[in-house]
Amino acid sequence: MAATTNALPAQRTFVRGRWVTPAVIGFGLLAAWWLLNLVIGGKCDDQCVVSTLAQALRVATPIAFAALCGVICERAGVVNIGIEGQMLMAAMVAYATNLFVFQAAKDVLGPQTAGDMSRWLALLTAMASALLLAALHAVVSIKFRADQIISGTVVNILSIGVTGYFYRQFLAENLPPGPGTFPITPVPLLAQLPVIGPIVFQQKPLTYVMLFTVLALHYVLFFTRWGLRTRAVGEHPRAADTLGVNVYRTRYVNVLIGGIIAGLGGAWFTLEAVDVFNPQMTNGLGFIGLAAMIFGKWNPFGALAGALIFGLGTSVTATVSIFRPDIPSQIPQMLPYLLTIIVLTGVVGRAVPPAADGQPYEKS
Amino acid sequence: MSETVPTKSLGFRLRDVLPRVLNVLAMPLLAILSAFLVGALVIWITSGQFETIFAAYGGMVRGAFLKQRGFSETLVAMTPYIFLGLGLAVGFKSGLFNIGVEGQFYIGAISAAFVGQAFTGLPTIIHLPLTLLAGALGGALWAAIPGYLKARTGAHEVINTIMLNYIAFRLVEFLISGPFKDPYATAVQTSRISPAAELWSFYAIPQRLSDPLNALFVALILGFLAWVMVRWWGGQSRADRTAGLRRRLPWLVATGVAVLSFALLPPLTRLFWPFRDEYDRLHVGLILALLTTVAVWWLMWKTTIGFELRTVGANPNAARYAGVNITRNIVLAMALSGALAGVAGTIEVLGVSICRCLPLFFSSGYGFEAIAIALLAKNNPFGILAASFLFGAMRNGADLMELNSGVSKYIISLIQALVLLFVAAPAIVRWMYRMAAPRRPEEEAPLTRGWGG
Amino acid sequence: MTPVLQALGITKRFPGVLANDHVNFTLEQGEIHALLGENGAGKSTLMNILYGLYQPDEGQILVNGRPVQMNSPHDAIARGIGMVHQHFMLIPPLTVTENIMLGTESLVPATRALGGLAALDRRSAAARVRSLSRQYGLEVDPDARVETLTVGQQQRVEIIKALYRAADILILDEPTAVLTPQEADELFVIMRSMVQQGKSIIFITHKLREVFAVADRISVMRGGQMVGTVKPADATREMLAEMMVGRKVILQIDKADAHPGEVVLRVENLRVEDDRHHRTVDGVSFEVRAGEILGIAGVQGNGQTELAEALTGLRKVVGGKITLLGQDTTHAAARHLIEAGLSHVPEDRHKHGLVLSFPIRDNLILCSYYRSPFATGIALDYAAISKEAAQLVQMFDVRTPGIDTNVGSLSGGNQQKVIVARELARIVRRGATDGRAALLVANQPTRGLDVGSIEFIHRRIVEARDNGAAVLLISAELDEIMSLSDRIAVMYKGRILETLDARTATREHLGLLMAGVTKEAAHE
Repeated sequence: MAATTNALPAQRTFVRGRWVTPAVIGFGLLAAWWLLNLVIGGKCDDQCVVSTLAQALRVATPIAFAALCGVICERAGVVNIGIEGQMLMAAMVAYATNLFVFQAAKDVLGPQTAGDMSRWLALLTAMASALLLAALHAVVSIKFRADQIISGTVVNILSIGVTGYFYRQFLAENLPPGPGTFPITPVPLLAQLPVIGPIVFQQKPLTYVMLFTVLALHYVLFFTRWGLRTRAVGEHPRAADTLGVNVYRTRYVNVLIGGIIAGLGGAWFTLEAVDVFNPQMTNGLGFIGLAAMIFGKWNPFGALAGALIFGLGTSVTATVSIFRPDIPSQIPQMLPYLLTIIVLTGVVGRAVPPAADGQPYEKS
Repeated sequence: MSETVPTKSLGFRLRDVLPRVLNVLAMPLLAILSAFLVGALVIWITSGQFETIFAAYGGMVRGAFLKQRGFSETLVAMTPYIFLGLGLAVGFKSGLFNIGVEGQFYIGAISAAFVGQAFTGLPTIIHLPLTLLAGALGGALWAAIPGYLKARTGAHEVINTIMLNYIAFRLVEFLISGPFKDPYATAVQTSRISPAAELWSFYAIPQRLSDPLNALFVALILGFLAWVMVRWWGGQSRADRTAGLRRRLPWLVATGVAVLSFALLPPLTRLFWPFRDEYDRLHVGLILALLTTVAVWWLMWKTTIGFELRTVGANPNAARYAGVNITRNIVLAMALSGALAGVAGTIEVLGVSICRCLPLFFSSGYGFEAIAIALLAKNNPFGILAASFLFGAMRNGADLMELNSGVSKYIISLIQALVLLFVAAPAIVRWMYRMAAPRRPEEEAPLTRGWGG
Repeated sequence: MTPVLQALGITKRFPGVLANDHVNFTLEQGEIHALLGENGAGKSTLMNILYGLYQPDEGQILVNGRPVQMNSPHDAIARGIGMVHQHFMLIPPLTVTENIMLGTESLVPATRALGGLAALDRRSAAARVRSLSRQYGLEVDPDARVETLTVGQQQRVEIIKALYRAADILILDEPTAVLTPQEADELFVIMRSMVQQGKSIIFITHKLREVFAVADRISVMRGGQMVGTVKPADATREMLAEMMVGRKVILQIDKADAHPGEVVLRVENLRVEDDRHHRTVDGVSFEVRAGEILGIAGVQGNGQTELAEALTGLRKVVGGKITLLGQDTTHAAARHLIEAGLSHVPEDRHKHGLVLSFPIRDNLILCSYYRSPFATGIALDYAAISKEAAQLVQMFDVRTPGIDTNVGSLSGGNQQKVIVARELARIVRRGATDGRAALLVANQPTRGLDVGSIEFIHRRIVEARDNGAAVLLISAELDEIMSLSDRIAVMYKGRILETLDARTATREHLGLLMAGVTKEAAHE
């Protein structure tokens, strides 16, 4: 008689819940972009459209890294709002490593080889520094069971302090020129594709790494033993514990891997975007990444979609300000943040986080 | 059995209270001590010399207290901290993490800067309250936005307030360099506020009081305070007095105090006034901060409004069950929190800034420190006074420390982050000092909530 | 023959509590051994020790005669011990197969070398789940998500989970708490079949009826100690009850006949949805009169929670009408209902009923803090509040050091007394000031409490009825419903199937109704 009350077919949520919202917002953004094109009087030709889209992917890279870091942490039940701080630290460490290794090695190896070496070394140290902060967050929130949002705030303040300190001590004075950022590395063959080629496959290396991370994380989360255990720990740690899954270990490893991913995102700022460091350069992108993660309902592809929307918002406003220099620069600069609020407000009520997200686990 | 159930008596018995006070203070004090110890370690390692620790901390102490005007500068620095700390505490007690006080501070500052320069010729008695109100309102509205979004859609206030911070920075930057720019100044800044809207420095009080309107203003405030105190005292001791006298007494005393101070304060302050240093920036904002502290304490712990806010904060489900309007309380909590932050920004403009205006690229960096202050104080208003004093002293002593020892003043941020770390995770402190775990951990309400809302 | 499982001299201390005091326990091969005891007797502690979740402070565990050290459930699982927890240890968004294989995942052989990153082999795991469910008659769809299953199906998943790990010893912790009497009987059949296929079962319960139905031996625990072990043939209900509680227990509460007065609450064709927008209350109608107790019986999850929330202003009503004392309160807010005369003992005392971090004093005025004499204007009058609190603490026998003590540090029984005191005090005050009737909605008022507190709260509820309050009692405990109610309505899948006179209702009839079998259907 009332047998329908309890049945909730899994199919439906897949078809409706997961993709419709992102798609609608994506189309909405495209429409908005056409409107903006009207604002600038149709001055954006094909070349300009393609470069705007390429720029969107480029800008989306650090946001996506932040969002992926969020996904891997929160799927295991650890809220990480310290991503911003981890990225800031990684950005500074990457910049400093790049610069000083280059200075030390350029006379021995020649500028070309030294530049390559210093950039890859810088990437490693960036990941290591973010990993260190992630370890702090992990210990404080997993072992000492502190409030995870406060613990993330500690990471943020700490990295503002530390990067500010080093910036003032070592990086603020007139420095010798560094080796510069990663060069654009077109992917052979794929870069020749029309439209897609210039947008996706003529990017710098970290963008490819980001796209690969999305794929890898999706595979790990939904098709492997580790992923199953991670999701179990994030939903119901005690149940996982009773089946012999080590909750603490799972959480530690995920938060640390998250740190490495955040480190990649931080490295983007000084190894791909610009060749300088300044103490506020992450500009809230870590937090926007968290919004992208919520928007993507804690799925890697969803997180990428969220990041792309923010990237698109940023690159479109950048395009607009090129053609309309009369608009004060602060107004378009506000837009990504405004967009974050709107997206978060529209989506969050329907996005359900992992059940144990943010809750310290205490073994009884 | 009922006779033995203790009801709170008025008189404190030191014997009972002292151990409890020590118990409450132990954790914060250990957290501060540990943070400074770790800070010392960092100084030692980065400078390579053990003596640098003493040079640095010695410089800090001298800068904060001993040098000329050091102590009063510390008090000046602590004033905004008090407001911001109170703002965060109101949020935390209501279950909200208002990480956006920095943005509300800016919006409050720009609102006050606008209202402060918008009128000329208004008397202080109108212009100063109006300007303070504008700052409070600006902050309150700015904070109410994420409050409303949280209550209605569950969008988490942490992300939204941070986003609003960035929007506030851009907005204020735009306003200062555009519509509100002082056309006559060389620097990019807002117009200087009217002198009537300034917060008086202690030095200038006798001079200000020579204006009868100002004297009236002060007399009214003192009269009001007298009224509050007599009522409070009368409400506390339920002596057998006639109802008529009980009702009339506060008014009588208040009128007396007001009349007396109106008549006597101007001549008396001219005769004797301890603040004789023209360059001392200490201003009446500090008194405002102290009064606000008491007011917030009263509001949160002695009124139905505070009861509702704290219930919503500690257990929103139970609040709903008890018929409390959650949406209204969340918005109210954010607005209150933002108003306090807005007043902090107002004070920066009206009492601290040299130009009595809001300059471009004026960076406070107060926002994150206020989190540490509120948590260090365990969200207790009077604890916030103490914590603000500490942070004000550190901020004020930092310059001389850098000068003295060559240690960058960013070490302060490091120490503050460590303080926050240790108070947020008392388990670390207990672990470091091998202390026993508390008996009942479940009694503490959670500080923040997850994304679910 | 060596016992399959032996616990010798197990002692476990928690801060302030001696949960297990030198407990001995033996499980023979192929038996169903019932472990009987009140809430807080130490049954769950003992079982958690046997399952490796807790480590004993003293004592020894022997599996098949060999002493073992179990540091985690992993060790217990490895020794063939499986446990079905009272609160299911299932992960709702995962599928049945994922839940079952978690911890001992089937992996695609070719990727096994990848360790943690090895790919899951869902197909072979699902096949094993299917074969197990066929073998023991535990029907369940391996690919369904657990959150879509009924409680009974979820329990089957839990049992398969243990069998999947090749458990020979099964610990079932209060498995019947969520089942109808008939479903419980089905479970007993499954348990019998498992024992016949060589398993041994520990069956934890506090229901006397069940131990006689299924157990081969019965052990009774009380206050952390093992009181004794008997065979069902040698035991009587009264004897076991006395062993459980330590004194003679009055199984029935004395109460005078009801004198129903005016209609206090009228519910007409009420329809309510749960959080996932499933219509869980689907056309419910009833009345409660002053001076009577209407009991709503039913297995958990048949809409009782949503019904209570709708009646108390905590959940939106989709359709129908609620009338409280002549006022239409269908869409009224909680505050309005409280003003109109509602008292509510909520189902979940930690979620709704109390603010754990507040002192007792503040919890006692949680619903009336804004009214005289507790507040004038916005100023709270703590002298008046403390006076009220001290009075209520005494009247309701709340064991506490003082009214400033945080409620979170009280025992469950005392916490529940604080709620009952608060809610009944309002009824009393209302009756005293204007002599008007009031409604008490009591949802699971004694869940998880000790016998003393249960008796106390039961007496208070009957007292409120005798003083003219209308009482709506919602409970999944059939005994509670039968001993307190004047009329009994049985709820099944969001509807009330039948309303019976409590004096003539039988357990069997109620049980059938709780399983959805009406008389007409039974006759067909």
